[in-house]
Amino acid sequence: MSTETAPDREISRTSNSFPRDVWTNFMRWNINAIRNPFVVVSSLLQPIIFLVLFTQVFGNIAGGALQTGVSYESYLLPAIAVQISLVVASSSGIGLVDDIESGVFQKTLVTPMNRAAVFLGKTLSELIRIVVQVVIILGLGVVLGANVATGIPGALAIVGIAVLFSLWFLAFSNTVALITRDQESTIIAANMLQLPLLFVSSAFLPVSSMPPWIQTVATYNPITYGVDAARAIMLDADVMEVLDVTAFGGIWNTLVPSLAVLIVLDVILGAVAVYMINRASSASVQ
Amino acid sequence: MRTNQADRSGEQPPDDRRYAVKAEDLELTYADGTEAVSGVSMAVPEGEFFGFLGPNGAGKTTTIKVLATLLNPTAGTVHVNGFDVEADQQAIRESIGYMAQETSVITEMTARENLRFACDAYGVPRGDRSDRIEELLDLVDLADVAGKRAEGFSGGMKKRLDAAMALVHRPPLVFLDEPTTGLDPKARNRLWDYFEEINDRGTTIFLTTQYLEEADHLCDRLSVILDGEIVAEGAPETLKREVGGEILDVELDDGSDARVRAAEIVREDGIFDDDPTVDVTDDGITVTSRESRTRGPDLLVALRDAGITVTGFNVRSPTLDDVFLAITGEHLDDENPAASDADAVESAAGSTTAPDGGDR
Repeated sequence: MSTETAPDREISRTSNSFPRDVWTNFMRWNINAIRNPFVVVSSLLQPIIFLVLFTQVFGNIAGGALQTGVSYESYLLPAIAVQISLVVASSSGIGLVDDIESGVFQKTLVTPMNRAAVFLGKTLSELIRIVVQVVIILGLGVVLGANVATGIPGALAIVGIAVLFSLWFLAFSNTVALITRDQESTIIAANMLQLPLLFVSSAFLPVSSMPPWIQTVATYNPITYGVDAARAIMLDADVMEVLDVTAFGGIWNTLVPSLAVLIVLDVILGAVAVYMINRASSASVQ
Repeated sequence: MRTNQADRSGEQPPDDRRYAVKAEDLELTYADGTEAVSGVSMAVPEGEFFGFLGPNGAGKTTTIKVLATLLNPTAGTVHVNGFDVEADQQAIRESIGYMAQETSVITEMTARENLRFACDAYGVPRGDRSDRIEELLDLVDLADVAGKRAEGFSGGMKKRLDAAMALVHRPPLVFLDEPTTGLDPKARNRLWDYFEEINDRGTTIFLTTQYLEEADHLCDRLSVILDGEIVAEGAPETLKREVGGEILDVELDDGSDARVRAAEIVREDGIFDDDPTVDVTDDGITVTSRESRTRGPDLLVALRDAGITVTGFNVRSPTLDDVFLAITGEHLDDENPAASDADAVESAAGSTTAPDGGDR
């Protein structure tokens, strides 16, 4: 007996749509974040500790290396915003590994939900966390004496840059998660990179005040571009030292190259992550 | 031994019945060359409680993953609910429930939130959700803890929640991959009742298990898979009758001499026409014959005539373990369940049928 080529029965179709699937997963990960207050608080606490300690301990010394009239609080705050991006983005892969280990990932794959929507919802939840935490840190920074030279629109732009900056690291974190499929490795890989990369960038001190080898590393360090873009808006000045761009005038000499670097990076690492995710969720035998 | 040929003609449904699962020559070979399933054919009519039996590593989970669209077959034609597993994955996902071997619930969420998430994931109509969630919570006996987070649940509670999550959309077909492994007897019986109830309501159930008792208790019909191939198929009763005959236990009083003499009487007096198997046991003899029931009394008379005192007498059906022994030459049921669980962990770690995300 040959098998039927056309389905011989009606099934009740789901009422799912792409936006609904995104929303379902967005809310699932929001609940997850709220129910794990320790994770949320500690990912906010580390940057706050950096902000307070660095301004208190290095404030006086670092001030000498800065342009005149710029407080170290204002100088450091954009870097802390970028640091928040890094910390939250690194937790993205950990959530994915968690799901794979617990079987919830596979459970999701058997449902009729759109797979892209599943990951988009999860990513949006992480981006919201970045937005909320960066807003908190900016508020705290202003309380501590930092000044956003471009005002409220500038503060919003810094939030936007933190989100744009997070995407490449988010993609990286998910890629590591899918390669290792192991929670500890993912945590170590993400944390191992974070701090050293922050120090060998323009985050804490002007690159020109550092040894030549660090200046070279900083030029190829994505964090430099995230920090420079946020800092240009914070200080309303062309702060980029690693590239000498003069074509656009004012803070655009920093913003245009920085944003270009971040977008290219986001696209490349994003594509790698999408490839890895497709591979992990496909039914092709591996 | 292949018994499927004989069974099929009698038990296959008439042509107007539809199949929930229909696989022809399903093969699956992993990229590293491991041939997990080699040419499995099966047809499960709608409404059946179907058991898929086999030892660890036989290919049960791999087969079920193909049917649930988690793995594409290397070769063969597979239809689930009438849809092709490669061409119509979405339609299959909308019309099946799948409970994986490893319990997976979202531990940060409460039981009710888990079910709500499942409703969202399966697109259950909004108006039906609340009623259905409460009904399922009742059915799996979690209504009392519906507002508690699943991370505090026992293994049995998580299993029941997991089962409920696979059913929120009232799928006509449910795959249960070793749903009771690792559960205590009480929790297991509760799940059994639950599975029987949804089967009574018309849901087709495809169950894999390594517990013969479970298959015997629940299934209308079953297939036995060994090393990636189906080696027997039929209703539990049919399989047991065909392979083992019936078993006649006779208890004797007069010591080992009498037992040996009794065995000789069985072998030589021709009471049973079908050349029965006779074993001398610690307290008597055991005769396996298709005529155990009809000729048993004759044996008792013969023993009395020979002056042997019979103190006990019992005819029992063979168990599925007797079936398995006849088919494969080994027992499927391990005497020590703990040891067989340890084997399960070991073979899962060593084999290519990874139970986690879609890598295998």
